[in-house]
Amino acid sequence: MDDIITQSALINWRINGKLHELEALPGVSMLDLLRDELNLTGTHMGCQTGHCGACTVMVDGRIVKSCLTQAVTLPRAVITTIEGLKAKDGTLNPVQQAFWDEAGFQCGYCAPGMLLSTMELLAENPNPSDDEIDVGLAGNLCRCTGYRSIVRAVKVAAAKQNELKQ
Amino acid sequence: MSLYPSYARPQSLAQAGTLLAGLSSGTVIIAGGQEIMPFINHGALMPDVYVDIGGLKELRGISAAEGWLSLGALTVHRELQTDPMVREHAPLLAFAATLAGGGRQVHNRATLGGNIVAQHPLYDMVPSLLALGAEIEIAREGETRRVTLADMMKDTSHGLGSEAILVRVHIPPQPKGAGWAYEKLKSSGGAYGSANAAAIVTQDAGTITSARLIIGAVADRPIDADAAVQMLIGQKLTPALAAQFEARCTTLVKEPLSDAQGSGDWRQAMAGLVARRALTAAIAGQA
Repeated sequence: MDDIITQSALINWRINGKLHELEALPGVSMLDLLRDELNLTGTHMGCQTGHCGACTVMVDGRIVKSCLTQAVTLPRAVITTIEGLKAKDGTLNPVQQAFWDEAGFQCGYCAPGMLLSTMELLAENPNPSDDEIDVGLAGNLCRCTGYRSIVRAVKVAAAKQNELKQ
Repeated sequence: MSLYPSYARPQSLAQAGTLLAGLSSGTVIIAGGQEIMPFINHGALMPDVYVDIGGLKELRGISAAEGWLSLGALTVHRELQTDPMVREHAPLLAFAATLAGGGRQVHNRATLGGNIVAQHPLYDMVPSLLALGAEIEIAREGETRRVTLADMMKDTSHGLGSEAILVRVHIPPQPKGAGWAYEKLKSSGGAYGSANAAAIVTQDAGTITSARLIIGAVADRPIDADAAVQMLIGQKLTPALAAQFEARCTTLVKEPLSDAQGSGDWRQAMAGLVARRALTAAIAGQA
């Protein structure tokens, strides 16, 4: 039985389209691995308690808080970080562009979480109401905007995405 | 306590049971990690070994048979919110899961089992599960045992012990046509509750025939309001009766929590308030 107890675990993550085979130490969060080992510093470290949402990434199409996700517990995963949103030529995706146009962030610390949460929200609900936006973004704190410009940005992003679909 | 913890990811419940039986008290079971990672991140918890139960198939899946709903302990909150079987058999639970704290990110990863074994007084699932009369299945060293969740919650410590695994949660058939409600007072969308109440009520032409009401987030343990519910049976809900019920519920809180979610006196008062609201909403929402 002892042979299944190990000092590290091999994990296989496809991050923003690129495959990484990594050796992860038990206890280390996905956040630390992304930032410290892979230099993907767009994923921000905020509270490390799960309150702020700045560390949000997408795992298999669903947003998670990377500080609350222990790396070894995801042996295989397809991951999108904030670095993976823009196109190869640097064009912003519609959600990013809407946040830019509507001043959906000021200092930008919460932006990775707000953007990825908006991506999941709009994938499920292309025309969210103000209340639905509040619920969809409830896992993210912003200390600059007072949230009104963020809600506006989500609405503009929704309209833009719906326009592109037509 | 170790700076260099080790790790195991057993592939079956039997393997996990044998493994846990042979390990020391420095072992921590991990699945979604939403409860324990803050402690690990801040160095408050430093296990010797992590046993990752995320790969155990026995702990997955949602099924229904003979009116009972069976939920794998690894079912995440988002599945509880959206799964058609949960929404049909236990709409109260599906709704309560939408009000859990931490936002969508946490709902996507936090497991039902983790929520229960955490025994955190402010968490959202246990009051509804108790109102539904849920039973839990626990595996310990190759042996599986089934107990009521209410029994587990009576245990003052963890209730399971570090060598046991919560495998599944079973929800019995609910009374036909029962109304339900979950009321939660909270300061913001992603926040902990400062008081909550889960209710299941049946009535016959406006007369209350049965009611289960659990009050949470106001004391160390959820409070079964059965003593207050008795005054409702055989009655029609009038504003006067609702006020009486609210006052009685308040007296059921003997040692209120006093924390960042509010002072003890206030929490005690809010216990009655959420209880009355849940009762009223459950009656109003009845088919």
